[in-house]
Amino acid sequence: MTSYFSAAFLLAFLPATVVCYQLAPRRARWAVLLAASYAFFWVLSGPLVVFVIASTVSIWAAGLALDALASRRAADLARQGVDRRRARRLWGRRMRLALVVGVGVNLGILGVLKYAGFVCELLAPLGCALPPAPSIGLPIGISFYTLQAVSYVADVYRGSSRADRNLARLALYLAFFPQIMEGPICRYDQTASALWAGEPVTAQGLFSGGARMLWGVTKRMVVANRLNLFVQTVFGDPGSYDGGMVALAAALYTLQLYCDFSGTMDVACGMGRVFGVSLPENFRQPFFSRTASEFWQRWHITLGAWFRDYVFYPVSLSGPVKRLTSSARRGLGNRVGPAAASGVALLCVWLGNGLWHGAGTQYLLFGLYYFVLIWAGGLLAPASEAVCARMGVARDGALWHAFQHVRTLLVVVAGELLFRSSSAVEGLGLLVRATLGFRASSLVDGTALSAGMDAADFVVTGAFVVALLVVGVLRERGACPLEAVWRRGAVARWAVCCALIVTTVVFGAYGAGYVPVDPMYASF
Amino acid sequence: MDTILDILDELKPGVDWRGRTDLVDGRELDSLTIISLIAELEDAFDVVVPAVEIVPENFNSLEGIWALVRRLREQGL
Repeated sequence: MTSYFSAAFLLAFLPATVVCYQLAPRRARWAVLLAASYAFFWVLSGPLVVFVIASTVSIWAAGLALDALASRRAADLARQGVDRRRARRLWGRRMRLALVVGVGVNLGILGVLKYAGFVCELLAPLGCALPPAPSIGLPIGISFYTLQAVSYVADVYRGSSRADRNLARLALYLAFFPQIMEGPICRYDQTASALWAGEPVTAQGLFSGGARMLWGVTKRMVVANRLNLFVQTVFGDPGSYDGGMVALAAALYTLQLYCDFSGTMDVACGMGRVFGVSLPENFRQPFFSRTASEFWQRWHITLGAWFRDYVFYPVSLSGPVKRLTSSARRGLGNRVGPAAASGVALLCVWLGNGLWHGAGTQYLLFGLYYFVLIWAGGLLAPASEAVCARMGVARDGALWHAFQHVRTLLVVVAGELLFRSSSAVEGLGLLVRATLGFRASSLVDGTALSAGMDAADFVVTGAFVVALLVVGVLRERGACPLEAVWRRGAVARWAVCCALIVTTVVFGAYGAGYVPVDPMYASF
Repeated sequence: MDTILDILDELKPGVDWRGRTDLVDGRELDSLTIISLIAELEDAFDVVVPAVEIVPENFNSLEGIWALVRRLREQGL
């Protein structure tokens, strides 16, 4: 059992967990989920399970400490004749200390396990001799559950969540097996109660969850696995290919990443539905975006929301940045001023976002790439509107929207090219080759068919992209295809499930000649 | 409430602030405008708006913003 897509998981582990969950008395179902979650973690990460236990205990203790301090602060402020301003400062300091310890333990574990080696590498040329980084390995999903742990402590500190005295409930919130590998990154208030409630498995939950899982498996098996051959071939030896092939590989990698990650999210959300837990959505038709900023509100939504709530707003509302915003607004106007000042918070967000994806210079470059694009987008918006007005371009017209869609698509593909590279230097080189050195000849002279995918593979991929577009348009118009199928009765439900299974079996890229994709985001 | 209206008009002229209940959801107030609005509210009403209060319910309407300011003033933040 190596991922949600392995036969052992889909045919043995998950069904066994569902059966045990349903047979258990309602008040004990949380124990089934927790035992399954830790068993899953153990199978994938072995003794590294101690790190998720350490994170759980640390946020439990931090939550209790914050709760106790908040109660004592309230009692102190209620006393007659107390200097309220002084009392607030005193208790505020103590609560901030508990927050820093709770967050610091979790970010510290992540920092040592994931980034120590990278920091040593960066500092070595400068002559800084650091102790060698520990080679312990990374527990599965550490980047995801650490953000959940931090959000819990921050929410208790801010008073938007209550501290949970129940260690087991917190453990389940952090380690719930459908989300532990690749998210979505949940907030405590979104899932903890539902996980604990032990809702029974229903026919509708089984169908909608199962069909959603099948859709995810189909996306991954038919598209992501198939594209893996081409992507690995070109990116494995990029020096042997010209700009056209590199550009095509970047485009196919973008599609592969989408089908792999969103397919995994379909499986995660589907499993959640089976257990009566509604996990937050991570994708909302990202390729329909018209700006880079909008793309990140539709792609990996829970990560973007995490950085918005726990980095962008706190940094923007810090004293110095607020003063900078006010003076920039007065000096540069209501639009350009705040956009210019937002650079500080945006830089924090995008450096964090880039590094969160991995310890490598290519991820730093990836973060800076989006920082520049989004910051410049805000700064140049008034100028862009003025140019359009002068040229008579209708910004609410279909032509302008089409231009925006194509531009955003190119921006996203270029970003994924940097992201897929093995270093920032290689990424920049490939970007230059794919743009300035672009030649369409290799795309039509048969070279494209010699890198792992034949014509049939391209046809199957193209057909599935059309299916994805149709589903995307339906969802964009507010339709929910699974609910519509459910309402049509048992025949329609079985027909859809069978169609997805047959599609996966017939067109899936598996067996001899194919290398299954490693769960891409699980390694982040 | 008129002070808030003046601030909003200055930040983004031409919006019918009184008639709207979807200022955030309808994207009239994006994150940058909210940050500017908060800076102005803090100056005008001598309050501190913590990050936890940046939720759509507090900024979707003029009444919501006014209720937030009143609440923060009562709390003496």
